[in-house]
Amino acid sequence: MNYLDLTIKEIHEALVNKQVTPLELVNEALKRAKEDKCNAFEYIMEKEALSLAKTLTEPEKDNLLWGIPFAIKDNISTKGVPTCASSDILKGYVPIYNATIIEKLLKKKAIPFAKVTLDELAMGGTGATGHLGKTTNPYDVSHERMVGGSSCGSAAVVSSAIVPFALGSDTGDSIRKPASYAGLVGFKPTWGRISRYGLFPFTPSLDSLGFFTRSVYDSALILNIVAGYDKNDFTSSREKVDDYTSDLNKPIKGIKIAVIKEILESVSDPYIQKKFQETLKIYEELGAKINYVSVNHHLLKTLFPTYYIISCAEATSNNANLDGVKFGLNLEGNTFNDSLIKTRSEGFSERIKRRFVIGSYSLMAENQNELYLRATKNRHKIVDEINKVLKDNDVIFLPASPSVAPKFDNKIDQLEDEYLIADNYMVIANFAGLPSITIPTGFVNDLPFGFNLTASAFAEKKLFNIAKALEDKLGYYNLSARTKK
Amino acid sequence: MDFEVIIGLEIHVEMKTKSKMFSASPVAFGAEPNTLTSPYDLAFPGTLPLPNKQAVINAIQVAHALHMKIDNELHFDRKNYFYSDLPKGYQITQNRRPIGSNGYLDIVIDNKVNRVEIERLHLEEDTAKQLHFPSYSLIDYNRVGVPLIEIVTRPCIHSSDVAAKYVETIREIVSFLEVSDGKMEEGQLRCDVNISLKKKDDKKFGTKVEVKNINSFNYIKIALEYEINRQKNELLKGHQIVQETRRYDEANKATQTMRLKTDSVDYKYFPEANIPIIKLSQDFINHAIESSNELASDKRKRYLQEYKLNDYDTSILLSNLAVARYFDECSKFSKHYKAIANWIIVDISAFLNKNAITIDKFNIKPKVLVSLIDEIETGKISNKIGREIFNYMLEKNVDIKTAKSALNITNQESDDKVIRALVNEILDNNEQSIKDYHAGKDRALGFLIGQAMKKSGGKINPSITSKIMIEELKRRK
Repeated sequence: MNYLDLTIKEIHEALVNKQVTPLELVNEALKRAKEDKCNAFEYIMEKEALSLAKTLTEPEKDNLLWGIPFAIKDNISTKGVPTCASSDILKGYVPIYNATIIEKLLKKKAIPFAKVTLDELAMGGTGATGHLGKTTNPYDVSHERMVGGSSCGSAAVVSSAIVPFALGSDTGDSIRKPASYAGLVGFKPTWGRISRYGLFPFTPSLDSLGFFTRSVYDSALILNIVAGYDKNDFTSSREKVDDYTSDLNKPIKGIKIAVIKEILESVSDPYIQKKFQETLKIYEELGAKINYVSVNHHLLKTLFPTYYIISCAEATSNNANLDGVKFGLNLEGNTFNDSLIKTRSEGFSERIKRRFVIGSYSLMAENQNELYLRATKNRHKIVDEINKVLKDNDVIFLPASPSVAPKFDNKIDQLEDEYLIADNYMVIANFAGLPSITIPTGFVNDLPFGFNLTASAFAEKKLFNIAKALEDKLGYYNLSARTKK
Repeated sequence: MDFEVIIGLEIHVEMKTKSKMFSASPVAFGAEPNTLTSPYDLAFPGTLPLPNKQAVINAIQVAHALHMKIDNELHFDRKNYFYSDLPKGYQITQNRRPIGSNGYLDIVIDNKVNRVEIERLHLEEDTAKQLHFPSYSLIDYNRVGVPLIEIVTRPCIHSSDVAAKYVETIREIVSFLEVSDGKMEEGQLRCDVNISLKKKDDKKFGTKVEVKNINSFNYIKIALEYEINRQKNELLKGHQIVQETRRYDEANKATQTMRLKTDSVDYKYFPEANIPIIKLSQDFINHAIESSNELASDKRKRYLQEYKLNDYDTSILLSNLAVARYFDECSKFSKHYKAIANWIIVDISAFLNKNAITIDKFNIKPKVLVSLIDEIETGKISNKIGREIFNYMLEKNVDIKTAKSALNITNQESDDKVIRALVNEILDNNEQSIKDYHAGKDRALGFLIGQAMKKSGGKINPSITSKIMIEELKRRK
C-alpha cells in the first residue's frame, strides 16, 4: 500500500491516523520523481519540501491539505525557487515573492514539492515546446504520446501518482485538455474566482489558475482553500466563497444538460461518440434532462483563429518585460537595443517568436481593425451565444478531446472541423470566463479520455455536483498510470 | 512676409500621491535611488496593476478646473514600446477614453482673453529615471509608476506669451489643488511644445517641430521665441522645415536637433485586461470636485473684488500656495486685509528670506499676527511698537503678552476724555505757547504735544492727542 496512490481525502485520513507522515510522503514522492520518465520536472524542491515536512508532526484533523505534497506549474511565482516558465529567457530567475495561490496553500501547510514543465511560457497545447523538450504521457510506456499542454508537467506528475494534486493554468484549455489525455480531473474556475497574482501572464483576459486532481471531491476541496478576493489582483472577485464540497452528493434530478450538436458532430472517433451517448443515458437515468442545442457552425469555426489572434496579441505585450535588464537571461550588447535583441532572439524559441510576430502584426495600427479588434468583437459574439445556451441549461456537456492522447508526430489537418472545433472549442470557457471541468470517462487501447462540463459564472458548486454524479456512476475515480499497471 | 504661429502643448504633471499609480510603493522626491520600488514596479512576472484612487480623484479635480467633460468610466490601455526606462515594455495609459476631454483655459494678457482649448487630460504612469554616462547608464526605478496626468491642448495658441502663461497657469492650478508641486526644475511638470508656422492666408498648417527639455518656467518664452525665429528665418530663406524633435539647450539659449521624426511610432495600443472598466458614479465625481481646494483664480477674484487688494499684492500672495493659505487664515480673523497683506509681503517675507525658510515653517501663527495687526490698526499700539513686538516675538519665540511685558509696553491711551484732560492740564500751564500758536508759530503745537506725550510717559496715542490739542487750542482763542 503506497499512500501516494490515494486521493487527497484518503491520504488525509492516513495522516490523521498516523499511518503515514508528511516526511514519509515527501520521501516517497522524491523516490518516484527521480524515477520519472516523462520529463515532467523543472525543479524538484527537495530541500524545501523535506525541511517543511519535518516541521509537520501534529496532524490537523480538520485541515485536509495538511502535509499534502503538490506540484506547481513553472509559470507560477515561488519565492526563492527558480521559476522559468520552461523558457530560456527566464534562465536563472528566482522570484522574490509567492503567488497568492501558493501563499494560501502554504498557510494550510500543504507542501510545495516541485516546479513542473509547461509548453514554453504556457503557449502551446502539446507539452512538447518547453526548453527541456517533450513531456510525455505516463500511460504510454514508449513515450511517443503527448500528455497535452500547456500544463504538461502538472498532468504528468498527478497521473504518475507522484503527487495527489498539481496547480496548472488554463488560457485556452491548458488544464482541461491534458486532463483528458492523462485520465485526470482538470478544473478551471470562473475568471476572477482565484487570484492570478503570481501567475505569469499569457493572456490576462483568458488566463485562469486551476488544478489537476484524481477525484472531483479533491478539486472542490482545493477550490475551497484557494478561491477568493485578493487585494493584489484587481480582477479577483468579491463574490462569496462557498463550501464547494457540500453539495457534491446532491441528486441531480431535473438538471438541464446542453449538448452543442455542431461540436459533438465534429468528433469523428466512433468509440468516443458511443461512450458519450452512454454517459448521456447515465445522466438521463439520474433524472437530468438532455437538450441538444445548435450554435452557428461558422461561428464555431472562428473559435480557434479568434483565440489565436487575441492570445498572440496580448502575449507580445505581456512578455515585453523579458528584456534582460532586470532578471532572467541577459546577453550583453553595446546598447540597450543591442542587448535586448540578442537576449530575446536567444531566449525565446522560434515558436514563441512566431506568435509574437503574429501578435504584433495584428495590433499594428493599420491591421488592428481587421485582426485584433475584429477578434475581440467576435469573442463577444461567441460569449453571447454561449450565455444564451447557459440561460436555459445548467451545464454544457461535450467530449474534452476528439481522441485519446495523440503521438507527437501525429499529422493533423488544421482546417478540418475536428481540429478547428472539436479540438479547440473548450476556449469558449475562457472567452466567457466560465468554470469548466474535465473528468475521465473512458479508455481506448488503455489510453484515457475525458468529457468536459462547463457551467455559468460562479456556478462551481453545481458544476462539481454534476461532475461527481457521473464520476460515481462511471467509477473512474482516482485513476493513475501507476495503479493501472 | 507675415507668419502665423501655431503652438500646441503637452504637459505631463507628476502627482504627489502617497503611492504610485498602480502599486503600493511610496512616491517621494529625492529619495535614495531604487529604494521606492515593488515587484510590480520592476515588472516581475505575475504582478498586477492596482489603480490608485487618489490619483483618479486628483485627475477629476484638475479636469474640472480646466472645464473639461469628465468620463463616467475609467478605461486604461497599454502603450507598447521597448525602452530601458520602461520595465514592463508597455506603459499603462488612457488612449481611447481619457478621463477628461474638451476643456479650456482662458489666458488673459493685457486685458485680452486668449482661450486655450484643451483636447484631453489622461492618467498614466511615469517611466524610470535614467542617468547616462559615456560608457554606461544608470536606472532609478523610484520614478517608475509615479502617477502622471497628461494635458494636451489643441494647436490653438498663437504666441509664446500665451503659451508661457498657459504653462504657468497649469502649474498654479495643480499646485493650488495640491495635486503636484509643479516644479519644472525637478521634472514634476514637463512640457513638450509643438510649433509650426504658416503664411497668414495659408489654410494648411506648416511642418511642426517638437521642442522638449524646457526645464524652467524662465525658459519657455525664450525657447519658443528662438524656435519661432529659427523657423521664420528658414522659411524666409526658402528652406523647408524639417519634421523633428529639438531640445532646448540652456547654455546656448537655442534649440538643437535631437532626432528626426520619420514615420510616427506605432504604439499598438490595446485595452489593459488587468484593470476592468471602472464605473465612476456621479457621487464619486461630485465628491472629488467638492473636496477640491480653492483655485488660485477664485482666490484672485476674492482678493481683488472683496478684499480690495491691488494687483501687485494679489500676485505676490498667490505666488505660492503656502503664502496664500497663510493670508487666508489671517483673513478669517480680521478684515484689515490690506494691512495683513503688507505685513506678509514686507515684514514676514523679509524674515523668511533672511532665514531662508518657507512660510509653513514661520513661527507666528496667523491668529497671533492678526491680533498684533488689529492692535496697531485700532491705535492700541503704534506701528513702531508693533514692529518691536513682532521682532521680539520672532527672536525669543514668545507670544504677544510676554513680548509686551518684556519690552515694558502698555497699550496706548486713546480715550478722548483722558487725553482731553491731560491736554487741558498742559494748556493751563503754558499760556505763552497758546499765544504763540495763535500768532502763527507752528512750532508751538509741536511743543505742546511733546509736553503732553512726556507727561503721559509716551502712552497716549499721538494722532488722537494732536487732534484734541488743535480742538482745545481753537476753543482758547
